[in-house]
Amino acid sequence: MIRAVIDIIVSIAAGFYTTGRHLFVRPVTESYPEYKRPLPARSRARIILTRDPEGRERCVACYLCSGVCPVNCISMQAAEDSQGRRYAAWFRINFGRCIYCGLCEQACPTSAIQLTPDFEHIRRDILDMVFEKQDLLVDLCGKDPDYDFYQHAGVVVGLAGKGDHISENPPVNTRTNMP
Amino acid sequence: MWIWLLGYLVLMAKITAVLTAVMVLAAYLVLVERKLLGRFQVRYGPNRAGIYGILQPVADGIKLLLKEDLVPEGADRAIFLAAPAVVATTALMMFAVVPFGPRLTIGGREIPMVITDINVGLLYVFALSSLGVYGVALGGWASNSKYALLGGIRGAAQMISYELALGLSIVPVVMLAGSFSLVDIVNAQAGLPFILVQPLAFGVFLISAMAETKRIPFDLPEAETELGAGYHTEYSGMRFGLFFLGEYVHMQVMGALVAVFFLGGWRGPVLPPPVWLLVKIVFVVLFMIWVRATLPRLRYDQLMNLGWKVLIPLALVNILITGAFVAA
Amino acid sequence: MPKLIIDNREIEVPEGTKVIKAAEKLGIYIPRFCFHHALGAVGACRVCAVKFQEGPVDGVQMSCMIDAQDGMKVSTADPEAADFRRSVIEWLMLNHPHDCPVCDEGGHCLLQDLTVAGGHGIRRSKGRKRTYTDQYLGPLVYHEMNRCIQCYRCVRFYREYSGYSDLGVTGIAGRVYFGRLREGILESPFAGNLIDICPTGVYTDRPSRYTGRRWDFERTPGVCIHCSLGCRTTVSARYRQVVRVEGRFSQQVNRDFICDRGRYGFYYADRPGRPRNGRINGQTVSAQQAVEEARDRLQRITQEHGPEAVGIIGSARSSLQTLSALVHLCHTTGWQGPVFRNTWIAGAAADAAVRALSPENAFSMREIETADAILAVGADPVNEAPMLALAMRQAQRTGAEIIAIDPRPLDWPFDFAHLACRAEEMEETLASAAERLSASRRPVVICGTEITDDGIVMQAADLVAGLRGSDKRAGLFCTMPQANSFGAALLDESNACAADLADRIETGQIRALAVFESDLWHVFPDRSRLSTALEKLDLLVSVDFLDTPLFENADIGIPSLTVFEAGGIYVNQEGRAQQVRPAHTGGLPIAAAGLGDHPPRSFSPDVPGRDMPAAWAAAFSLSGQAPPETDAQMTAWMRDNFAVLADLAHMEADGVRLFAGRKVSIPDEAQIPEKKPDQFLELLPAPTIFGGEPMSGHSQCLRELAGLPAVWMARADADRLGIADDDRVSLGFENIEVTLNVRISDPMAQGVLVVYRHPDIDWQPAPDGKRIFISEDQIRRIEKA
Repeated sequence: MIRAVIDIIVSIAAGFYTTGRHLFVRPVTESYPEYKRPLPARSRARIILTRDPEGRERCVACYLCSGVCPVNCISMQAAEDSQGRRYAAWFRINFGRCIYCGLCEQACPTSAIQLTPDFEHIRRDILDMVFEKQDLLVDLCGKDPDYDFYQHAGVVVGLAGKGDHISENPPVNTRTNMP
Repeated sequence: MWIWLLGYLVLMAKITAVLTAVMVLAAYLVLVERKLLGRFQVRYGPNRAGIYGILQPVADGIKLLLKEDLVPEGADRAIFLAAPAVVATTALMMFAVVPFGPRLTIGGREIPMVITDINVGLLYVFALSSLGVYGVALGGWASNSKYALLGGIRGAAQMISYELALGLSIVPVVMLAGSFSLVDIVNAQAGLPFILVQPLAFGVFLISAMAETKRIPFDLPEAETELGAGYHTEYSGMRFGLFFLGEYVHMQVMGALVAVFFLGGWRGPVLPPPVWLLVKIVFVVLFMIWVRATLPRLRYDQLMNLGWKVLIPLALVNILITGAFVAA
Repeated sequence: MPKLIIDNREIEVPEGTKVIKAAEKLGIYIPRFCFHHALGAVGACRVCAVKFQEGPVDGVQMSCMIDAQDGMKVSTADPEAADFRRSVIEWLMLNHPHDCPVCDEGGHCLLQDLTVAGGHGIRRSKGRKRTYTDQYLGPLVYHEMNRCIQCYRCVRFYREYSGYSDLGVTGIAGRVYFGRLREGILESPFAGNLIDICPTGVYTDRPSRYTGRRWDFERTPGVCIHCSLGCRTTVSARYRQVVRVEGRFSQQVNRDFICDRGRYGFYYADRPGRPRNGRINGQTVSAQQAVEEARDRLQRITQEHGPEAVGIIGSARSSLQTLSALVHLCHTTGWQGPVFRNTWIAGAAADAAVRALSPENAFSMREIETADAILAVGADPVNEAPMLALAMRQAQRTGAEIIAIDPRPLDWPFDFAHLACRAEEMEETLASAAERLSASRRPVVICGTEITDDGIVMQAADLVAGLRGSDKRAGLFCTMPQANSFGAALLDESNACAADLADRIETGQIRALAVFESDLWHVFPDRSRLSTALEKLDLLVSVDFLDTPLFENADIGIPSLTVFEAGGIYVNQEGRAQQVRPAHTGGLPIAAAGLGDHPPRSFSPDVPGRDMPAAWAAAFSLSGQAPPETDAQMTAWMRDNFAVLADLAHMEADGVRLFAGRKVSIPDEAQIPEKKPDQFLELLPAPTIFGGEPMSGHSQCLRELAGLPAVWMARADADRLGIADDDRVSLGFENIEVTLNVRISDPMAQGVLVVYRHPDIDWQPAPDGKRIFISEDQIRRIEKA
């Protein structure tokens, strides 16, 4: 009983000692606008659309990012260009709604949509927070520099025909029954 | 006639001085608390409004005044609007009986350094403290919100429970001083402050006082993690400000009462008496802040156990012992 | 009735039920790729494996191949079976390309779902993937063979179920290929169903390619209004525009599938030329202004010349709401009409059909599938009511004998006996063919109403009555010209036709005409008479969602909502009233609002272009009345005001059957068709599947399939006139010259020139009371093939 009471008193006193000691410790706070800490590449802030190593748009407008977005801030319209590539005719992110959860980046099968550490993009007008494709598109490959989705997809796009992609056999000859 | 008018003016001057001091102190206590909490947690606390953030209370006040005063749909409007005023007023009115110095003699006329010296001052304080429960309970009930209602119910239960311990803990002090008047109690400590005679009563009173002011570790009525903001969830703007003000004034009242009952009130060497009272109040309040920075919130059953099974029996035993000594 | 236990639950199923279907009855879904309830089982995919724990069959077996038997104890969750299924999916994925992001099936892909369900996420195989070259299969279906998992659903549907043979399977082992022998347009008008039944993305929808994912679509149950059958559809809309229509299962009507006209005919709703603003004397105004102007001017004419000076014309492509609102409009104002019949004879045939059908003898398409003999008179299902052809095909597959009596060259996907004859011989042929039904137990008589007259319909009804009298389960099935022909006939009180109003316009009795959703310009038998009549009018009001020539030339044009925006009730040819819900909110599609680029960067709670009224609301407004506010109130109003529509209160999932029992109508005297004079050929305008009705001609993809406009003639006639296949001829009749390609057919009636309606032929009169005869010297050959 007495031991228990002593324990209680000691533990409470230890708590008071800990907090009290902090009064004489230099705060660890980094004062933000005066000092800007360099953020790691995987930090989640402003979203960009990257390009593949050949400099073409990576986004194929598959709607996965808009489908996974918990706040429905991504909208787009897919279209097909003259080469047969699927691309986004328009692509819009409403950063007024975005919660920077990064699910779009996880869902993206082509590494096109990526979050960057640049978090300072506040605008005074809410409509300026609505970014269109030209605002989002950058001339970089981003975090997955070597990946080119169409090299793996196996659909005919531009000059690459059936069997010309990574890990593909040439097209089957359906006119023969030879083994 | 003249004398009467002069007495009235002096009373007004005292009320003005006390209210101003209390309000300004309340505003800056907020800042002090935030700064200190910051330091307790190894950060800076507010430091943007003015140098070291000293304009923060002004900014907060302006913000609260400019915010929209929302009344939720389905709220009991009259009660909802009145509740914050009840909390703030009762807290402020308690200062009426706190003495802040010995009698002053100006022009052969004695002026008591207390707004009014009621002979049942202590009961007056407890009466007002009980009335304050209405502000919390009714504010919570009138909001028509489950969080506010739960907060209000918890507040009522907690404040009523700890009022008992608060009252009982002070009985030995009354027995020693032989009076309910706060002036007499201070005077009774001319030799020795009661904290040295009644350490147990001091402990029980301090803990109960923190519970009465609904401060961590007794902030169940607000309990942000469970109830949003408890009984004042639905309040905004200056009405929320009044709840906030009430809480900090209440802290000061409790600091003042601790000073009056146990620390010798305004008595002290060198410094003028009101300053001594202020120092003691601030000291008690700083201790409350330190407690807030250190202890976690109690669970509801722990809260009730502490009140009913520890503090009240301790206070009763203390009364018996003190009674025996006084009688002997 | 074998009893078996599946996952510890007992069920009793009819003899011959497969275990996979027995499980379905218990609500247990066994994975499958090749099994389809309409196509049956082949056991090709091996993914429906379950564990047979006790009973006559032992071990892991395919649940789609094994009949339920007494004493079976089946576990679907047994680790051995689950592991088997997981492995099967991984094998199927060995050669499946990594192209889900650019595949339109993604999001509603069975293979995708089961791959995820089976837990196969990371490819373990180091092997290379098999590839195929794809084929161009026409404007509707996109082919991507790499994705194939060899379930054989496509060929089973295409060849067995629908009876076309140009798509098939070739190759063996790892070279199995599903496609055409040579690249080319699929011949079947049901090819769009390949998209629905393919469990993965081998066949995808070409017109709506890349428009969106299924999860983004607002999917609404709809009813097809491109023919009179009223097939169930699922309408997918996105960004205020219909993007895709798919078949929806219906027990009684279309079962699983729909035809390509129903699937792709919706493009009229959002094409750029669609009227979205009102017009007053050529000036663009808002829709509401146009309504108010029309109301004021019609009231002025009514005050000056009396209510008889205003005529109202409706059409059978309008919803039941519009039709009943028009009847009500004429009741309250005293205006003339409403006229629902384009021509007297076509209306009379439909009217006869409505009167002949009763709850006892009216068959649904489901009952046609189980018929053992079918006699089709003056009906060309492939062109008039395509899904009926699929139903007949199912009957034929189970051994039904099919006889067709028709002057046209019929191209049906099943075997049938064609008794080609002209209209005047039809009655006789029908009488003689009826004897061939005597051996059957469940005969059906299918009767068209587009090229026949009411006499034939009544004769067909009598035949059915006679067959029922001799203790057969006989049924009558009438096809009708338009989606709501049955509803129009139910509500039509005047039995007048457009020509009757033309008479009164010519005498100056009618001074103002309001035309609701009718393409008078195309369907009125005598165009020159129509244009002079319309010029005599003081006021012509057109309410339409299509930019018809009439709408363009009207004094006041009021744009109306399509079925996708307004919904409505449509009564199909067997009297089944079906409710259509609006598929989207209406208003200018976002694609149009953003001019093809991204949507406008502005915020507004209003939707541009939403002030268009539904046609029925416009009808109320023209008489100055406030229309009922909601669809439900409108339906209640219809029930309360029209005795024939009272049964709408009992609307169920399968619709509600309305019959003419409550309609008081005197049967018209049947007319005997006039004889064809010698040295003359009968010109028979006939409906056609693509572009044959007013709406589907606006779909670009269907126009491609419609081919070139052509005139068909019997070989004997062609030989006599010295015309060969593919020649171009010029037909001169009634001061109009039409140049067409010639198609020669053996099995068609001699002395008939069949011209199928075609969006490129400007004027295609529906046959009216008098048949059109062309003397042989009016047929001039211009070019040799």
